[in-house]
Amino acid sequence: MKKYFTLFATLAVTMGIFAGCSTSSDTKQPETNGDTAQRTTFTVGFDAEYPPYGYKNDAGEYVGFDLDLAQEVCDRNGWELKKQPLDWTSKDMELNSGTVDCLWNGFTMTGREADYTFSKPYVDNSIVFVVRTDADIQSKADLAGKTVITQAASSALAALTNEKDNEENLALAASFAALEQTPDYNTAFMNLEAGSVDAIAVDIGVAQYQLTNRSDLFRKLEEPLSTEQYGIAFKLGNEELRDQVQTTLDEMVTDGTFDKIAANYADYSLDQMVCLGKE
Amino acid sequence: MDIAFLTDIVKELFSGLISSFWIFVLTLLFSMPLGLLITYGRMSKFAPLHFLAPQHKPVGKMRATLANFKPIQFICKIFIAVVRGTPLMLQLFAVFYGPYYLFKIPLSSEYRFTAVIIGFSINYAAYFAEIYRSGITSIPVGQYEAATVLGYNKAQTFFHIIFPQMCKRIVPPVTNEAITLVKDTAMAFVISYPEMFTVAKQISAAKTTIMPLIVAGVFYFIFNAVVAFIMECIEKRMSYYR
Repeated sequence: MKKYFTLFATLAVTMGIFAGCSTSSDTKQPETNGDTAQRTTFTVGFDAEYPPYGYKNDAGEYVGFDLDLAQEVCDRNGWELKKQPLDWTSKDMELNSGTVDCLWNGFTMTGREADYTFSKPYVDNSIVFVVRTDADIQSKADLAGKTVITQAASSALAALTNEKDNEENLALAASFAALEQTPDYNTAFMNLEAGSVDAIAVDIGVAQYQLTNRSDLFRKLEEPLSTEQYGIAFKLGNEELRDQVQTTLDEMVTDGTFDKIAANYADYSLDQMVCLGKE
Repeated sequence: MDIAFLTDIVKELFSGLISSFWIFVLTLLFSMPLGLLITYGRMSKFAPLHFLAPQHKPVGKMRATLANFKPIQFICKIFIAVVRGTPLMLQLFAVFYGPYYLFKIPLSSEYRFTAVIIGFSINYAAYFAEIYRSGITSIPVGQYEAATVLGYNKAQTFFHIIFPQMCKRIVPPVTNEAITLVKDTAMAFVISYPEMFTVAKQISAAKTTIMPLIVAGVFYFIFNAVVAFIMECIEKRMSYYR
């Protein structure tokens, strides 16, 4: 009798396990966190190794041009700002799964318009090449046969590898000895300083930050790789939140707060690069 | 390199050290008992179909295999194989993003730390389970026989005789794992949980110097020295028969 009971119990448990597996398949699509009526927090995803847009200051707090803007937007809407530093390569997973409300960190719109719901562009950015001061590289043509590094999943990488309408840059990338990728730009600058790479393809704001701090080591090439614009990226379809942030930003442009925040970053030429409300 | 600059870095890194410390403590807290549970399953002799091959009766090969099938042991073996056989980085991804990408459950940022702890605990539990098993199997069979003769039941034998001896024998490999764990905490940033190494990289980017990375290295070394010292004290306290 006992052995039949054991057999029965085993079967029952096995079936229970399989039954448990099947129930989870019909869960419904998640709703986007666009519930602005109940919104109390606003989580910004950013790369904390991306000065001057987002970085750690001397007091150990996350600051930067974009985070200052986000703080002002939150203050005006009565939200609590949560700053979430991200591993940049997993930014899409973070945004889609709802752990961050937006990507706001010198995020390039150009070429990504179909993948995110974007705000209006607010910064004119260009991607430039940074080389060592003593290098014999003066123009893009001199980069032939050199090793170039850039950030993984960055717009600089896209500008060099994008297959569509991009023959000139593709030809340029083909002339490099190698195009390497690194998780963050600081590592790229370490590589350049140590001599393991010859040039970095990087957003001008980030380049300017390094050049301001270490002008004796690096210089940038005059000729940019490409020009593009920065926007705030929301999850595709989350227009409600986008519109509310955009309205607040427009107000900030009108009353001058936007330019005032940009002026704080004049060392890195950000005041000349902002484009919101300038057209 | 002036002193004020260095104390700045140390102060900032300290917040990261606290994050790493909590990952370390909570992972040990959850993975060590979980590991024991897995060991127990891994060593389980529960074979629900054993009646198919009664003693003193010759049976076919197929029937004998079925009769010897131990489901709990099998599940635990699979678990250990999967956890040891895949990268911790991938497991952290699976724990954190899995609920959304597999079941469409929207995630909150608060889940991040929980996912770190779940991922680390599961991973380390598998390793601890095998360490415990090595400790348990190293106890001579004679002790079990003696316990039976003295009238100990299975649970009493395990908790009063086997377990204390196991604890003594597994201290060195557990120390190994604990020290590896301290360094593995740096892996938490793959799901964007900023621990000490991430903070060091961030300061390094903001201040355009590699000094924070060197300081982080010193911090890890001190952390591990403390862990090793504590484990050595435990080992000494346990060696009461020597």
